[in-house]
Amino acid sequence: MDRGTTGHLLTNTTAAQDHDKQAIDLSACEREPIQIPGSIQPHGVLFVLSPDDLRITQVSENLGELLGHPPAQALGKPIDKYVGQAIRHKLDGAPLVRGRPSSLGTVQASVDGIERSFDAIAHPSPEGIVLELELVSGHSPPDLYPLLDRFTLRTEAATSVDQLCDWIAEEIARLTGFDRVLIYRFDSTWNGTVIGEHGNGRLPSYLHHRFPAADIPAQARELYRHNRLRLIPDADYRPVPLTPVIHPQTGKPLDMSFATLRSVSPVHVQYMKNMQTAASMSVSILRDERLWGLISCHHHEPRMVPFAIRGICDLFARAFSLRLAALEQRQDYERRVQVHATYAQLVERIADGSDFVAALERNPSLLLAVTGATGAAVVTQQPQCLLVGQTPTQQQVRELSEWLFSNVKQDVYHTDALASVYPPAAAMQDQASGLLAISVSKLHPSYVLWFRPEIIQTIQWGGDPRASAHTRGERSELHPRASFVTWRETVHQRASAWEPSEVEIAAELRDVLVGTVLRRAEELAELNVELTRSNRELEAFSYSVSHDLRAPLRHIVGFAQMLMESGASALSERERHWLKNIRESSEYASLLVDKLLGYSRLGRADLQLSPIDLNLLVEEVRQDVVRDADGRRIDWKIGELPVVTADLMMLRMAVRDLISNAVKYTRNQDIAEIEIGSHHEDDEVVFYVKDNGVGFDMQFANKLFGVFQRLHRWEDYEGTGIGLANVRRVIERHGGRTWAQAKVNGGASFYFSLPSSSAAPQRAQIHA
Amino acid sequence: MLKPILLVEDNPKDLELSLLALERSNLANEVVTVRDGAEAIDYLFRQGEYQSRPEGNPAVVLLDLKLPKIDGIEVLQRVRSVDHLRSIPVVMLTTSREEKDLVRSYKLGVNAYVVKPIAFDEFISAIQDLGVFWAVLNEPPPGSLKFERRA
Repeated sequence: MDRGTTGHLLTNTTAAQDHDKQAIDLSACEREPIQIPGSIQPHGVLFVLSPDDLRITQVSENLGELLGHPPAQALGKPIDKYVGQAIRHKLDGAPLVRGRPSSLGTVQASVDGIERSFDAIAHPSPEGIVLELELVSGHSPPDLYPLLDRFTLRTEAATSVDQLCDWIAEEIARLTGFDRVLIYRFDSTWNGTVIGEHGNGRLPSYLHHRFPAADIPAQARELYRHNRLRLIPDADYRPVPLTPVIHPQTGKPLDMSFATLRSVSPVHVQYMKNMQTAASMSVSILRDERLWGLISCHHHEPRMVPFAIRGICDLFARAFSLRLAALEQRQDYERRVQVHATYAQLVERIADGSDFVAALERNPSLLLAVTGATGAAVVTQQPQCLLVGQTPTQQQVRELSEWLFSNVKQDVYHTDALASVYPPAAAMQDQASGLLAISVSKLHPSYVLWFRPEIIQTIQWGGDPRASAHTRGERSELHPRASFVTWRETVHQRASAWEPSEVEIAAELRDVLVGTVLRRAEELAELNVELTRSNRELEAFSYSVSHDLRAPLRHIVGFAQMLMESGASALSERERHWLKNIRESSEYASLLVDKLLGYSRLGRADLQLSPIDLNLLVEEVRQDVVRDADGRRIDWKIGELPVVTADLMMLRMAVRDLISNAVKYTRNQDIAEIEIGSHHEDDEVVFYVKDNGVGFDMQFANKLFGVFQRLHRWEDYEGTGIGLANVRRVIERHGGRTWAQAKVNGGASFYFSLPSSSAAPQRAQIHA
Repeated sequence: MLKPILLVEDNPKDLELSLLALERSNLANEVVTVRDGAEAIDYLFRQGEYQSRPEGNPAVVLLDLKLPKIDGIEVLQRVRSVDHLRSIPVVMLTTSREEKDLVRSYKLGVNAYVVKPIAFDEFISAIQDLGVFWAVLNEPPPGSLKFERRA
């Protein structure tokens, strides 16, 4: 650690060295010998007694000040010599459990002829029995019943955790007289938040402030868990050493983990001074044996809280914990009910349709609410992901899915620090510091993703700690401002964690979606069988058409021809013209049949994919096409074209149709201009042929690619109207798109695209 | 005596046009017409109605692909499966441009595969070319020729 890890506005548990002599070594804090400071705070006396005969083996050097006996002489003496016989009975009767200091009630001692009362607290340690005596102040202990009654009434009336926290802070403040009482809560990673506060205004508010886990390190948390109450009445105290410092039998310093008088870390003392707090007290709040949080009290001046009052505070904290558990369970239950209602609605809508993406798209708020996310994405094999709420870009989502697919391989995956496992997420911390992902397919990167932003974006500040922290020239590391900075570093690129219930819901939703996908796959399989059957029928149909329809057409042509030859002399000019019409029409009908069959074959034939250099293909087709355009002047502008993976026969047909169209429809221009080129666009490579020919009216642009759709009179431009239908079919078979742009008499541009994946990175030589 | 040309055609109009085309090609060969695949088999195997026809194989079989009862492909298959018929030139005449028919026909050893052109004059010249090539120019394999002449 490079900073004050133990310093914190809470009462520090770390051991203190002699802070007058010893320099503060911040980096050593976590390694500090926490349980063996060798000294205590001066508001009580500490004895170590041998367990069998209760003789004193160690004692704090303030024995003289509090009990009027020189400490050196007390060693080896029985304890009852100092506090009376009663102590033996109290110790005998107390359930001495390690790790849990027990109150023995008060004991009396005569100091210089005056009776003094002490609160006695004892716990066993490896060195013997640790007995601590705190001088009882003049106040009589408060009447417990009205206090508890009032407290119980208030906590029972609380309807939310926040309200409960504010109330217990108020009750503790009333009971102890501290200037400010904070309720501090740990999250799952031990970062802390102040969620409740009561103050009289003498100390600044810290409500909603955040503190990094390092502020209360693990060993300190462990002490808080066992030793639930910790008081520092005066941070400006002089530590009182034990005599002897080393235990004579064990040869070790006393383990003071559970001693209430244990001395304070110099780091923490400095921290308290910086905070302008002279006294502090903390009470641990445990839930299910785990440290849930702390009640943290501060006072501007030194303040002693009698043991009896501290006991009540502990009692309050335990009652609070019970009520807290009930409230949290209720809130959790209500939230689960809410989430389940959302989930049920979502599932119902998914089940309604066969397409779950569409269902999710129609219900964006449910999709977000079901896991409490701020953004969501649905990634399928469609080129576009569905994005809802605050999300990364299409591209980022796509890349994230690919990463999940090849690296994570879990059905349900979640993290609240995506950038720590997937570095590119650093660029999307504002949308996706947290990720919850469910995989919908084993074969493809198909996911539903939920996102949460970096937590720092989501925090509601009661007051900006950066503004309220006045350093006044002290060590700035030992201040809530520094804590805030550390906390911010801790949660950098970290989102609020996904609750187990949210992850469970996501997993359940996954089952539903996978079920939907499977059902869809079954439907598709059925459809496929159906399609295969109808494809076979279609094939049989076209086979029969090719025979049965062509034959009579041929007969018409044949007999018309015979008639033309044998009856030539007997027929008039008009009759011969009619005969010619009969023959031409039949020939044309036959041509249409052939074209239609070719078109249907295009849809059925398997794709024979190979790399094709479009530069070569275009040149080959161009030379072929210009043979039919003898004597015309055509200016060709042909750009650099890519290599694509496609079916050569089919692609040649498409390219040929486009180029020959361009030549055909420019034939009335003095100079025809035909431009051929390509460019990359998103995930596609786009190929185009532009001409300066007759063009067409854009309102017919949609009809253009249909079978036998013609936009020109037969006398002007011949043709069957199948060419562009073939182009579209070929391109669609390759997963691309076709479109056109034109103006009447303003030229036409025809485009087709192929998926980028079909474009090879460099020019290949291969081309038939 | 020239060997006959066997024309297998079910469609009467096609038959009429084919005969017209053969007529115009001035071939001296007799043209025997049968109207379905079964009849063609009977003729070639000298069975059924044709069991008493004179021995000898035709100079060429002009075989329509799509025929009643037994189709052209099967006729071809049968012809190629027996020794004494195997060497007869068979020309498949068809309306179909279906690639799979073409492939099957060649696999079965067809000598030519003609998609009947739509224009009649093209049809005539196709038939003429075929007739001249297979009935006149193309010397049948020795076996069949000798057998025919002795008969």
